Amino acid sequence: MSGFAAVLLAPQLLEATIRLSTPVTFAALAAVVCERSGITNIAMEGIMLVGAFFSAYVGWLTGNPWIGLLGGLVAGAAFSLLFAWATVSLHINHVVAGAIMNILAFGLTRYLMMVCYGRQGTSEAVPLTLDHYRLRVPLLSNIPYLGSAVFNQTPLVYLSLISVAALAWTFARTRFGLSLTASGEHPMALETLGRSVYRVRYQAVLLSGLLCGLAGAFLSIENSNSFTEGMTNGRGFIALAANIAGGWQPVGVFLASLFFGLVDAAQLRAQSIGLIHLPSEIFLVFPYIATIVAVAGLVRKSRPPAAVGKDFNVEGGGD
Amino acid sequence: MKRFVIAVAAAVLVFAFGPGAPAFAQSSKPFVAMCTDTNGLGDGSFNDGVWAGLKKAEGEGLASVKVLEAHSMTDYIPNLTGLAEGGSKLVFGVGFLMVEQIQEAAKDEPNTFYAGIDDYFGGNVPRNLIGVSFREQEAGYLAGIVAGEMTKKYYKNSKLLNDKNVIGAVLGMNIPPVERYLAGYIAGARSVDPTVDVRFITVGSFADRAKGKEAALALNDQGADIIIQLAGLSGMGVIDAARERKFFAIGADVDQNAAAPDYVLTSALKGTTMSAYLLIKDLAAGTLKGGENRVFGLKEGAIDIAPFHQFDSIVPAEVKQAVADAKAGIASGKITVPSTLAELGIKQ
Repeated sequence: MSGFAAVLLAPQLLEATIRLSTPVTFAALAAVVCERSGITNIAMEGIMLVGAFFSAYVGWLTGNPWIGLLGGLVAGAAFSLLFAWATVSLHINHVVAGAIMNILAFGLTRYLMMVCYGRQGTSEAVPLTLDHYRLRVPLLSNIPYLGSAVFNQTPLVYLSLISVAALAWTFARTRFGLSLTASGEHPMALETLGRSVYRVRYQAVLLSGLLCGLAGAFLSIENSNSFTEGMTNGRGFIALAANIAGGWQPVGVFLASLFFGLVDAAQLRAQSIGLIHLPSEIFLVFPYIATIVAVAGLVRKSRPPAAVGKDFNVEGGGD
Repeated sequence: MKRFVIAVAAAVLVFAFGPGAPAFAQSSKPFVAMCTDTNGLGDGSFNDGVWAGLKKAEGEGLASVKVLEAHSMTDYIPNLTGLAEGGSKLVFGVGFLMVEQIQEAAKDEPNTFYAGIDDYFGGNVPRNLIGVSFREQEAGYLAGIVAGEMTKKYYKNSKLLNDKNVIGAVLGMNIPPVERYLAGYIAGARSVDPTVDVRFITVGSFADRAKGKEAALALNDQGADIIIQLAGLSGMGVIDAARERKFFAIGADVDQNAAAPDYVLTSALKGTTMSAYLLIKDLAAGTLKGGENRVFGLKEGAIDIAPFHQFDSIVPAEVKQAVADAKAGIASGKITVPSTLAELGIKQ
């Protein structure tokens, strides 16, 4: 059973893929919502980190992971509001504001570790994690191969699947989705129709903050049981790549996130089989090569929103 | 006028909070400082270990101490040289990842001693530079003996163990200290269980907990029931995996039992605290010598294995005896533990 194919075809690979891709999926959806509304958001990494911290902190204080999750959501939303204020109201360059948010998040969580726990590194463990509420869907979880990976999962994994569907529906079928798209394609047109571009963009950033909060909560109180400094470790940036590779579409970025998760899961497992003797560095570059190939190969077919990253100023007639 | 006030205020701030706070420089005790790597304090590893050594020396009145934390790799050189300019007599640069920067800083600041933790300098070592490295392989060897014995002969002693003769290791990055740990771990396990299958995965980061967990789960899927973490903060993920899947984790650097008392069997201990303390003691006594590499091991009291805590009863006396024999053998030089995978005939 130690064959290469046996390991790569085992259902555990799919389970690992889903575990690794869930936080990226949430963050990539956050990127889609922001970018479709015209805001370039590179702050997912930081917002996720803040969400992860507060999920763990509130979960630890109250002993209830659901309240912890709520804490992560509120913190993610509040932190992203700062980003919305900077980019929409103060008209700061989106990339600059995003970079500042990321640095701020690292410093802030580090500082809060000292304030809340009196130490750095890893926080106190939450008494109960969301993993405890793993839900096995009857019947469906008996499907061979897929069943155990998709239908015997933890709450936020299910929520990530629901979020993909809900956002796809929002963009395709709702007024709000249409406003988001208009705000990113031709904000002046939206404004002329009497819808406030500022308002739509605030809503978009706030929604992305909630999604990043979920990503953070997954990392700290579902996949593990406490917060570790810097635990997002670049997932916010992988999400940016997933957003582009997925063509700014919820379903597309979900598939892209799954692909990145699969490549990572496969390289980790391939290392341990010991059949092929390659330096581990070769395995470690797989995900990055996959990212480049995916972005370079798929991005040609899709186009970013026309007004993404461009400032919109009502007083200046849209410039 | 306004500009002048701002300039004065800025100067005051720089002197009050800058790396070279005069209060330290004028103290009669030598001022000793350390620069962390980007993981900073709280890594549960060498940063915390060295800082504890500095605090111990401070507590004994040997020195006044200070720590600067790096947030990115570009902070290394300014932090290292800034501390020297602030009057520090001895600066610790923690971690193999700043091995280049500390050599550069030592060249720029010839009047300050620099000690590179986890560094071994080849060739002519400048007279103000000290390489501090450890024989991690000795700690790995002791942990390997425990893992090899428990996974094969005594797997019935705990529900966390299975009947497969497989153990694992999760590595942060492929750097010499990590390889030494791993080589010792494999050699130790093989010394008691020649047919043991040791599998390992490198996650490529010392700060990715989720990936560390994933690597440990992958090893567990292949039958590994005892997994050592050699991955810094990523290693917390190994302990997460142990808790979720119910197998044994072995900690590294410091006793990590408290992270998950029901799943951490023991830890391989590396005495960064002791090494830092000993260097400061030499400095205070005026006998500190630069221009050389200091290697700390079991014989120097800087390498050990942590107690088994609540698992003391399931680890048989025979295993404890094997560990004690190995310690005696290493200390007397009868056992030389391999420090590279090549010595074990493992291609990488």
